[in-house]
This record gives sequence, structure tokens and C-alpha cells, in this order.
Amino acid sequence: MHSFKIGLLVGLGAVLVIAVIVKWRLRNMPMSVAEKAEFLSKRRARMLPALAVIYITQQASYITLPHEPMDRAVNGVKISAWLVLSAVLLAALATKGFWFQRREVRALIDDEVTRANRIEAMRFGFIFAMLTCIVIYLITMFEPVNGRDAVHIVMSDGLGAALIRWGWLERVASRDA
Amino acid sequence: MPERLANRLKERRTELGLTQAELAERVGVTRKTVNTVENSVFTPSATLAIKLARALGVAVEQLFWIET
Repeated sequence: MHSFKIGLLVGLGAVLVIAVIVKWRLRNMPMSVAEKAEFLSKRRARMLPALAVIYITQQASYITLPHEPMDRAVNGVKISAWLVLSAVLLAALATKGFWFQRREVRALIDDEVTRANRIEAMRFGFIFAMLTCIVIYLITMFEPVNGRDAVHIVMSDGLGAALIRWGWLERVASRDA
Repeated sequence: MPERLANRLKERRTELGLTQAELAERVGVTRKTVNTVENSVFTPSATLAIKLARALGVAVEQLFWIET
């Protein structure tokens, strides 16, 4: 099988496994909709910075790839897995997330403050991505930059910055006075 | 001088003997939202302000005012 397809399957498999583990861990917790939303919201605030760190450190493996990344099958797997993770994180940022939860829980998790924080995080991520574009543009004046490398860097920077910002805002919001 | 939306949410909530979680459940938001509004970290929308005032049995103007 093509290494890209293997990477995509690995990424999708990982997403499914995580979803099943989350569901299984919550199976016997007798919680009201509000309690569940509160629990998940707090967990998200804790998880976001960790996710951002995992996502950004994952870029180290891309940067250390040889100049022709398609030479080895394992590089194709790495890139595809990164693509799946990026798509999942982007979807979590752009939608309410928690896709496997009940509709009422999802609605409560994405209440007014969370929506405002998400929008602010996306604004921050966009600005960061645009600044990265400017830097890459300047670099190309002195050294050619591969198209895929440029997209990879812009996407990673934008998403990473948005995740960190969202995590920070959620933590501030959850903090008691 | 910048304006900010001040509130006496905590005072009124305590008067009624409600916790943040209980008020949040009445209004249909998470405790985090009530917490951020109480601490003036977040400026609520008109809809949320009205819901909060209704849940606490006061008029919006009694609960929120602009401070300069």
C-alpha cells in the first residue's frame, strides 16, 4: 500500500481509538448534562496546551526529514499522519468539537465564553499564519522554498498558535477569582 | 478613559444562596461563563445579561452598569 495511505489510516485509526477510550472512560459516570459539560470543558482547558505542544514538537520530525521527503515510505506515513492531526485539530477549532457527545452536552460546552475564546484563538492563529507567510516570502528572496514545505510551516504555525491561545484563554476563564 | 461593564452578580447570587454551578444551570451555560462574567473577564451579550438578570430576579440595569 502507498505510504501516504498508510499514514492516513494510522492517523484516522488513532483518532478513533482516542474517541473510543474517551467514551469508555465516561461510560459509568452518573452526571447531569451540566456536570458533564463542566467536566469536559475543564479537561479541554487542560488538554489544549498539551495538544499544542505535541503538535508543534511533531514538526521536528518533519524538519529533520531529508530534502526529498518521498524517498522513504516512512516519511510519507509521517506527513499523512500530520495531515490527519492537522485536519482534526482544525475541525475542533472551527466547530464545537466533542463530536461523539450528546447534542445538549455539545451545546453547553460551546457556550458564549467558549465561542468568544474560539473566535479569538482563530483570529490569533490567522495573524500568526499571515506573519509566517511574510517571513517565508522574505526567505524566498534569498533561498528557494519548496511549496509543500511552505504550506506545512504556515499551517503548523497558524494552528499551533491558535491552539495555544485557546488553551490559555480557557484556563483564564476557568480560573476562580 | 476606557469603559467597563461592572456587575453585582456575585452579591446577588450569594443573597439568593446560589452557587455558580446552580446559577449556570438555571441560565443554561457552564459555570465557567458565570465565573468569567462575575470576575469581569468576559462581557456578556445582551441575551446572556437578560437571562442572568431574570434568573436572579432583578432588572438588567440593577445587575450591570457601565463604569468609567
